[in-house]
Amino acid sequence: MTQTAEQQKHTSTGQDVLVVDGLVRRFGDLTAVADVSFRIAPGETYGLLGPNGAGKTTTISMIAGLLEADEGSVTVVGQPMGPTKVAPKRHLGLVPQDLAIYPDLSARENLTFFGRLQGLSGGGLRARVAEVLELTGLTDRAKGPTKEFSGGMKRRLNIGIGLLHQPTLLILDEPTVGVDPQSRNAILESVENLSGEGMAVLYTTHYMEEAERLCDRIGIIDSGTLQAEGTRDELIRLIGGVDNIQLTAAGDTEAAAEALRALPPVARVDADRGRLQLTVHDAPTAVAQIVTTATASGLQLSDVQISRPNLESVFLHLTGKALRD
Amino acid sequence: MGQLITLLRTDLVQRLRDKSVIIFAVIVPMALMGAMNLVMGDAMDMELETATVAVSAPEGDQLAAALVQSLPEIGLDVEVTETGAKDVQARAESGDARLALVIPDGFSAALMAGEPVEVTAIRGDGAGLESSVVLAVVQGFLDRAGASAVATAAGAALGLPPAQLGGLAQQVATGDSAITLVSGETSDEQLDPKGALVAGQAGLFLMFTVSFGVLGLLAERELGTLSRLRSMPMNPVLVVLSKVLSSFVLGVVATSILLTAGGLLFGVDFGSPVPVAALIVCAVIATTSLTFIVIKLAKTSEQASIIQTILAMVLGIAGGAFFPMSGGGLLGTILDLNPVAAMIRGLGITSGGGGLGDIVTPVLIMLGFAAVALLIARVVPDRGAMA
Repeated sequence: MTQTAEQQKHTSTGQDVLVVDGLVRRFGDLTAVADVSFRIAPGETYGLLGPNGAGKTTTISMIAGLLEADEGSVTVVGQPMGPTKVAPKRHLGLVPQDLAIYPDLSARENLTFFGRLQGLSGGGLRARVAEVLELTGLTDRAKGPTKEFSGGMKRRLNIGIGLLHQPTLLILDEPTVGVDPQSRNAILESVENLSGEGMAVLYTTHYMEEAERLCDRIGIIDSGTLQAEGTRDELIRLIGGVDNIQLTAAGDTEAAAEALRALPPVARVDADRGRLQLTVHDAPTAVAQIVTTATASGLQLSDVQISRPNLESVFLHLTGKALRD
Repeated sequence: MGQLITLLRTDLVQRLRDKSVIIFAVIVPMALMGAMNLVMGDAMDMELETATVAVSAPEGDQLAAALVQSLPEIGLDVEVTETGAKDVQARAESGDARLALVIPDGFSAALMAGEPVEVTAIRGDGAGLESSVVLAVVQGFLDRAGASAVATAAGAALGLPPAQLGGLAQQVATGDSAITLVSGETSDEQLDPKGALVAGQAGLFLMFTVSFGVLGLLAERELGTLSRLRSMPMNPVLVVLSKVLSSFVLGVVATSILLTAGGLLFGVDFGSPVPVAALIVCAVIATTSLTFIVIKLAKTSEQASIIQTILAMVLGIAGGAFFPMSGGGLLGTILDLNPVAAMIRGLGITSGGGGLGDIVTPVLIMLGFAAVALLIARVVPDRGAMA
């Protein structure tokens, strides 16, 4: 794994809410998670960014004590975690990827039920349920069965249950999958507010924009292995300050790609159905030469876009594939 | 403990709101009982009717007179009409008599001489069990009279005087047998057909009712709530335990309702409430113990439904839920160890006035069944919802 200097410094603080050390999980011959290690400090939002099947949910299942690790350990607030451990789970709030609410119960009943299991009771529980209903915008629909809720309302309640007991560590497993843009934005705003309240958040996603917007640090995971971690800027620096140029054109893109690869500023070219994706050094300077070469190769350009590097570029650089592959 | 109660209460609330448990555990078996009662009502009604017997007997024949006089004393309601030989057959054919007997002339003399004698019996329309009983009595009378004639002939061959021969004949014909048959019963009283129907259906549907617990656990997994429950600060065993307890509560409530309502509707008295309650609890323990095995085997609710249905039908039918089952040897022992059969047998004992002390055997069978099921559940590899 590639570690930044800041990340190495972070490992020495010794006050982490979550310590994941050398996690391994196998399913038969398949190694779903291979030697994953990272830490999360209080109030920090940590993103696990990777495509579907990268090992994010398996990693989270071990962290939340749903799954036994074959190797390695998980420590939550200094207490070892496992499927039969009770004490560390008191500090944990889990928002599973799939909805985890009872359709025949109302929002209030769902919250009250899970609140009781978390050890809340009496007036404290009632007050907290009211707060979470307010926070999730469900106060007006608190009494109706959740099977009559919209998808966005169910998602908000799903998150609210995880927040109910004000956990030290909140785990959100792809909470915006299948959510409409409006609800998605509301969820992201809620998560931003949580870190402001001092809650540590572990957030998994395959949406680069969400990781960039929410996370203080990001771990890039693929094929069960943590490829790199650090802040957004640290990760982008890993790929050497390159830019992206995208050409949209008609013609023989494969032949043009060969010609473009020979240019000195060009680090990488990927051709795909009338589009050429180039990773280049100093795009503003190189763009003229690239357009000339492409045209000379017989391409009829219809669009040229220059973009600064982002996490998608980092992922492409580290794994050789796009996040949504 | 608080978490277990919370889990149990929420599960029961959802079951009641879902209504499927009410429909399947109470309404369907009640409807089935009613339907079976309608279909088999006459067959289950075991009240014997009056046996109407028309008899033609020769006048002045002592043994024929004795036979006719013995008929009203056999313990059934027997209405005897003496008439002529021609009229006897006409009465049987017209339905005025369900049984007609024609005793030939010279009946006594032939019997005493040890000669063949033929009594004609004609079964009329609608001749039922009562007529068969009367016929059996007639046959018994003839057998004893025949034995008396044989004894008299043997005495004469031995040179006994006529006075002693008469006494011997009298003794053989009317005396008590020197051989005594002592018969025993498994219980003081067995359930009548309607009682057996109610108890059998209650036992059968108990098997289905307890399956709601397993289905609830699998539903948790399909809803996604199982993951969340397992992330809660509690022992994961509580989740399984709450489902089993839910099955237990539903089983006790549903079976109590079925026995009470069924008893009222069909006029069945199952006896003292305390031993009946003990039988219900033990039956629910026995059937609920099977859910531990199903939980370990079933990965989906479809699989759980199939396994539970197979268990319910096999144990229900073998236990006598639809009709009494019996067998000898190993098969009989296996049938006896069935919790449904044990519950029905126990209810038979309580309906006959048996108390707690009388139902020890069925109770032990049901608790033993539960112990074996739990043992099997411990050794079966877990590939179900909690795996």
